[in-house]
Amino acid sequence: MVKIAATGIGIVSPSGIGKRQFWANIKSGRSFVKKITRFDASKYPSHIAGQIDDLEKYSHVSERLLKKIDAFSHMALIASEMALQDAGIDIKQEDPNLVGIFLGNAIGGWLYAETELRDLYIEGREGVSPYMASAWFPAAPQGQVSIYYGIKGFSKTVVADRAGSLMAIGYARKVLAKDKLNMILAGGMEAPVTPYALLCCNTYGALSKNNTNPQEAYRPFDKKRDGFVIGEGAGIMVMESVERAKSRAVKPFVLISGYGTTCDAVDRINPAEDGKELARAINMALADAGITPEKIDYISLDGLAVDIWDNSEAAAIKSVFGSRTESIPMSCPKSMFGNLLGASGAVDLIITILAMEHNLIPPTINLEEPALNGLKFIGKEPKEYKINKALIISRGRGGINSALVVEKYEN
Amino acid sequence: MKEKIKNILVTLLKVKPEELKDDVSLQDGIGVDSTEMVETVIALEKAFGTKLNPKEITKFSTINDIEKVISSKIGR
Repeated sequence: MVKIAATGIGIVSPSGIGKRQFWANIKSGRSFVKKITRFDASKYPSHIAGQIDDLEKYSHVSERLLKKIDAFSHMALIASEMALQDAGIDIKQEDPNLVGIFLGNAIGGWLYAETELRDLYIEGREGVSPYMASAWFPAAPQGQVSIYYGIKGFSKTVVADRAGSLMAIGYARKVLAKDKLNMILAGGMEAPVTPYALLCCNTYGALSKNNTNPQEAYRPFDKKRDGFVIGEGAGIMVMESVERAKSRAVKPFVLISGYGTTCDAVDRINPAEDGKELARAINMALADAGITPEKIDYISLDGLAVDIWDNSEAAAIKSVFGSRTESIPMSCPKSMFGNLLGASGAVDLIITILAMEHNLIPPTINLEEPALNGLKFIGKEPKEYKINKALIISRGRGGINSALVVEKYEN
Repeated sequence: MKEKIKNILVTLLKVKPEELKDDVSLQDGIGVDSTEMVETVIALEKAFGTKLNPKEITKFSTINDIEKVISSKIGR
């Protein structure tokens, strides 16, 4: 099978924009969760988030385009540009028919949509921007990225709640492995820090209400956990075959070597308590990568900080890794900047790539007293460690499971 | 009137004033698309207090054409 690599990284997150700044903040264990300041959110049960305040500073997008797109497309455009630059790709030199875009998103572009819907009811139909129709929907960023670069190959937006972006990356790998495209921009984007989106997330009932101590709110697997915190941003990578990377004299960061996905099929909100289907997804990813569980030396956790989600995730890990569960280091670095929903899996993968590059396991802040035994959590202190093969877990509402295996690239 | 039309386009479409030439179509001059035209026609209607038929002002219109259409409508 054709080996598929990640060769460029673009990251837009509350913990930093651009991989250097992002990694510096991740390894320092600093929290970027704070009270929402974009609008008055004080009456929401949970009114804290990982918010990006300086997007314009990093933007290459014209004002003319900005007024037509939602923040999630803006984030995707910035992350795509960073990924292409990082991979050393001049898109004008590519055959546009053989370049694709695979992105994950959960909720669409509500900052734009809410403003226009309000105008619809106040001013009538003429008060609504004609761009509304093309700005809000989950595939809008895919369209904007394709227009911006003239990309014309097979592309797809995956909507699978929080599992969307890891699923998009798994899908992209499959398409590349079949040699259908030369390269793909793959990842995800999400902008949920808006009045209505925040309301929906609150209604879900799984957000932390620790508004008085935002930086301590997101506590995956900790005894004092009370839910997750939302965040906004985008994580996009350049993916291509190892052969093609070699022909461009570019060293891949990692091989995307295996992917698995399953559904729990039990409840519209919660996952199955036993974690059996998640375990099956993990086993599928391992089999796809052609490795046994013994080879995994780091696990990037989904870590929703909700009892049933954390417990079922732990159950799945224990069933796959058996007694090794006690010795494989695992962490959930999104505790520092929030859960980027449809972009969370892509960002977890980017963190894992950077962790492999720097031989350092990123911390899980606020994990002080584990609620579960028998797992080797990396808490608030990062750990020096050489990672060769890692597993990334990403799950969505209603029991969507996805698992991805990555390997450090060695010549 | 011409200046008012240009100001509307500059503010609305975020283009530079120097990009707007009196006798070049909006499509050729600033690459306007159909959605931008919808927005433009609505803004012109509001600014000049008149109804405009979308067939009268299109992306192939120049600033001079637009001025002519609006003048004939509002009798100036």
